[in-house]
Amino acid sequence: MNRFLLLFFISLLLSGQAWSQQQVTISGYIKDASNGEDLIGATVYIQELNKGTITNVYGFYSITLAPGAYNVEFRYVGFQAKTISLDLSANQRLDMELAGASQQLEEILVVAQTEETNVSGIQMSSEKLDIKTIQKMPTLLGEVDVLKSIQQLPGVSTVGEGASGFNVRGGNVGQNLVLLDEAPVFNSSHMLGFFSVFNPDAVKDINLIKGGIPSRYGGRISSILDIRMKEGNSKEFDATGGIGTIFSRLAIEAPIVKDKASFIIAARRSYIDVLTKLTTDVLDDGAALNFYDLTLKTNYNINDKNRVFVSGYLGRDNFKFDAQQGFNWGNRTLTTRWNHIFNDRLFSNITGFFSDYEYILAFGEDELDQFDWNSRILTYDLKPEFTYFINPQNELSFGGEFLLYRFEPANAVGVSNGESRDISIDRKYAAESSIYLENIQSVGSKVSVQYGARLSYFQYMGPGTYHEYDQQPPGTRRNVINEVKVGSGEVIQSYKNLEPRLSVKYQFNEATSLKASYNRMSQYVHLISNTTASNPLDIWTPSTNNIKPQTGQQIALGLFKNFGEDNNIEASAEVYYKKTKNQIDYIDGADILINQYLEGDLLSGDGRAYGLELSAKKKFGRVNGWVSYTLAKTELQMDGINNGDWYPTRYDQRHNLKITSFYETNGRWSFSSTFTFVSGTPTTFPASRIVVQDKVIPYNPGGARNNLRIPAYHRLDFSATLEGKKMRKGKPRKNDSFWVFSLYNVYGRKNPFSIYFRQEDERRAAGEAFTTEGRQVSIIGSFIPSVSYNFKF
Amino acid sequence: MKRSLYNTFITGFFFFIGCDDVINPELPKAEAVLVVDAWINNLPGPQVIKLTRSQPYFDSSQPPAVSGAVVNVSTADKNFPFVETDNGQYVWNPEPGETFGVIGETYTLIISVDGEEYTSTSQMKRVPAIDSVTFRFEEENFILPDSYWGEFWSRDSEGEGDTYWIKSYKNEMLLNKPEEINIAYDAGFSKGGGLDNLIFIPPIRDTINPFEQDENDEFLSPFEDGDSLYVEVHSINEAAFNFLFNVQIQTNRPGGFGELFAQPLANVPTNIENTNATSTQPAQGIFNVAAVSFNGKRLDVSEVPKGN
Repeated sequence: MNRFLLLFFISLLLSGQAWSQQQVTISGYIKDASNGEDLIGATVYIQELNKGTITNVYGFYSITLAPGAYNVEFRYVGFQAKTISLDLSANQRLDMELAGASQQLEEILVVAQTEETNVSGIQMSSEKLDIKTIQKMPTLLGEVDVLKSIQQLPGVSTVGEGASGFNVRGGNVGQNLVLLDEAPVFNSSHMLGFFSVFNPDAVKDINLIKGGIPSRYGGRISSILDIRMKEGNSKEFDATGGIGTIFSRLAIEAPIVKDKASFIIAARRSYIDVLTKLTTDVLDDGAALNFYDLTLKTNYNINDKNRVFVSGYLGRDNFKFDAQQGFNWGNRTLTTRWNHIFNDRLFSNITGFFSDYEYILAFGEDELDQFDWNSRILTYDLKPEFTYFINPQNELSFGGEFLLYRFEPANAVGVSNGESRDISIDRKYAAESSIYLENIQSVGSKVSVQYGARLSYFQYMGPGTYHEYDQQPPGTRRNVINEVKVGSGEVIQSYKNLEPRLSVKYQFNEATSLKASYNRMSQYVHLISNTTASNPLDIWTPSTNNIKPQTGQQIALGLFKNFGEDNNIEASAEVYYKKTKNQIDYIDGADILINQYLEGDLLSGDGRAYGLELSAKKKFGRVNGWVSYTLAKTELQMDGINNGDWYPTRYDQRHNLKITSFYETNGRWSFSSTFTFVSGTPTTFPASRIVVQDKVIPYNPGGARNNLRIPAYHRLDFSATLEGKKMRKGKPRKNDSFWVFSLYNVYGRKNPFSIYFRQEDERRAAGEAFTTEGRQVSIIGSFIPSVSYNFKF
Repeated sequence: MKRSLYNTFITGFFFFIGCDDVINPELPKAEAVLVVDAWINNLPGPQVIKLTRSQPYFDSSQPPAVSGAVVNVSTADKNFPFVETDNGQYVWNPEPGETFGVIGETYTLIISVDGEEYTSTSQMKRVPAIDSVTFRFEEENFILPDSYWGEFWSRDSEGEGDTYWIKSYKNEMLLNKPEEINIAYDAGFSKGGGLDNLIFIPPIRDTINPFEQDENDEFLSPFEDGDSLYVEVHSINEAAFNFLFNVQIQTNRPGGFGELFAQPLANVPTNIENTNATSTQPAQGIFNVAAVSFNGKRLDVSEVPKGN
């Protein structure tokens, strides 16, 4: 490691010497002129040099040049470009506001990073969607959904309709790092998976990174979903909202001090229970069924060099059978960030956050017979990050992260007939620290290289109890042979991983480039879920003396090409190969809830995934949209499952075709549609049945796993948006409104979610013969129309 | 019960948008294996071990019986021969007043059939008495009408690791649907749950009730005036407990949204071994020797208090 760092610095110093001492820097923020929102990934382009840079996630840019006269162009998709003529002799701060483009340009829906950065930028395997695009896509029950929208992107799959989470390039749902303004969200679903917890009114854009993951990200082996919230309108008061089938929403944003401080507060709540209460009495005894979320963010520009952000999220799902019984779950996060500009070339951001995921279960109608259980994961994090814009050839990032975890698998009390037992499981504590260093370097005009590494260190520590287990035949429960109590702060087990990251880009010409990347990732916290879709009661557990950190290595190669009029069409082809270690699976009949010996039920093995992703986007024109196709294979191998042979994962999809299209008319209507074709996911069919004690039990000699596939899935969705009239009595209307009509599963296909086998549900006397049947479940088996009304004033 | 309430909640929603249909997919083919259904106990009367073979999954006839086997259960100093009486039924008949086995003793099962020999052992474990069986009244809620629920009262013995199978009979009919499998690890659901030496917890007390729907799919009260409820607690060994735990996962498939949270189809464990480790003829099934306690009651609604 030390030698690696040394080499790294030497190469940097050498590159530094090569550049002359006489340099000046222009730097600043680029914002949206209409509301003051930072523009992420806007381009700053020096026409004379044919060179440019893009703004970071806080809208900041810095570019260093020799003194002289330049035309500097500021561009962002969907905005009017601005060109400034500068005679540069000294460092200059240049903050820029860009105005929204004319009506015609507003049709640009798919936001590539900028016009050509898909080709010219070094990042590959990443997909960006802005909220305007997401809002135009047809959705289930008309509810705009950030997480469902990314399922239209190449390389993304799910176990099926209604399932929470998403799978990226063969990773499981627990291997995605979902960040909401830098804070991780452990459960991103409302209502078991039908809706995601992110309020679209508060989201600015999302960026999914599937490969070539920069060193600044770590902690999950599959992907990073970076969700950025709006800062809040710093120019004027703005309210948006709507009434949908499931949620009603309201978001308010306004300046606190114009151009200096603003806030946004956005809330959503399901309202089916409100309607139910009006018409029936089933909820009168305290029963409840609702979910809500509240998002808050404020920012303050202290001065030119300092800016702070505070953002918070609170979401909750409530299912109650009566006043005492039911369950609820939700996330809370609080993030504070401080952007500090040390000088024109050194930008820093320090993030501190607190995140709490919790669920509560309560049963029992009186105090004599009760069961109360809650489970939590608390995370505290401090994350300093620096970007040093050394010169136009080098952009150095470095920083670190220190995370503290407290896992509370179960704080639980069972009361039976008045006697109670505390059945809590010891809390688990862990610390995850990492440092990283990375440089993006241009080598000549055609090649750029991003190289760096992350060093991560994990400690599983007391206070608590750890267990040692015996060895058993593969696939069977291992028994505790030793139980050890440790004191506070005592380290039970530690792990470290060096995670090198490398990306290379070779640019053939303005419209074509070839990119390659390698990354190694490690993951120290694990989602424990042995059901088809993960559910809110699934727990997370740290790496321990028995659970090793998961690691993954990925190589990817991609060809990026723009063509057509004005490079209107962005196309890419990528291949990837991924190898993972210490993947988790479960013994048959694993008991994962309130089980202090859980680790004895876990299996560990290897994974591999490879695939080809093709995508083409048409960015302009009346008809625009994108097509993505993925050919992929994803497998696991564990001793104890499928005879120790490789088996496909539940979300292994050979073909995955998605077509998303938008059509704008001249008038108030616009239309969109999505089409999905996914080849059948694997499942296990039994060969035989055995009958023991009147139970008809499926049986497969050899214990095959995922030996067959369910039929293919395909679906067409459609939506139509009707904009409110822009003019009223010859004057522009103050308020905007629009209706969205959507039709999910247009041709009403009964798409299979799963096939299962069971004995018929009839009561029979002991010893009688039982009929067995196969059944196919469609989560959504018909077309679902919906309408929503949205407003803005 | 609460779990089924929740299921009903979810099923209601599913009803509007989902569907769950019978299909007839082609299944893989496999050789038949021996299936041993050897659950014997210390209740009065003959003890029966059934030998059958596995059959294609969609073959809904009685499983093929295995005849001509030699079946013997023994301890160090006693033999209990099981003699074939009917096709595939092997029976041990007690002397008058005799019951099978002694608590604490370990029994070995040996089956010889078709040139293969299979074996298993099981200890007869202790079982707590059922102090009483009672009924309670519950007012109608949005799923059930006014209803009478049976409960049994029994305390798990002190010391962790007791495993039980609770069977109940309504009007002498054994409740044997997959969702009616009622097993306990100590007084709770599973190992590592930490519920030793309590009265069996409420969900276990409640699972002795049948939940049935009438022709209009309305739920019925589990018991009506005059119905009888008879409950048995069988002590089972850990292999039998793990077997039933997995049988629940594999056979209790309510379908619908439940499929979102289903576990993969997998073989259930067995404690029957072929004595020849290199043989290619495995067996499935369970050998368990249970001690049984029992109690019962007939519902007389005039004895059951209503409300507070």
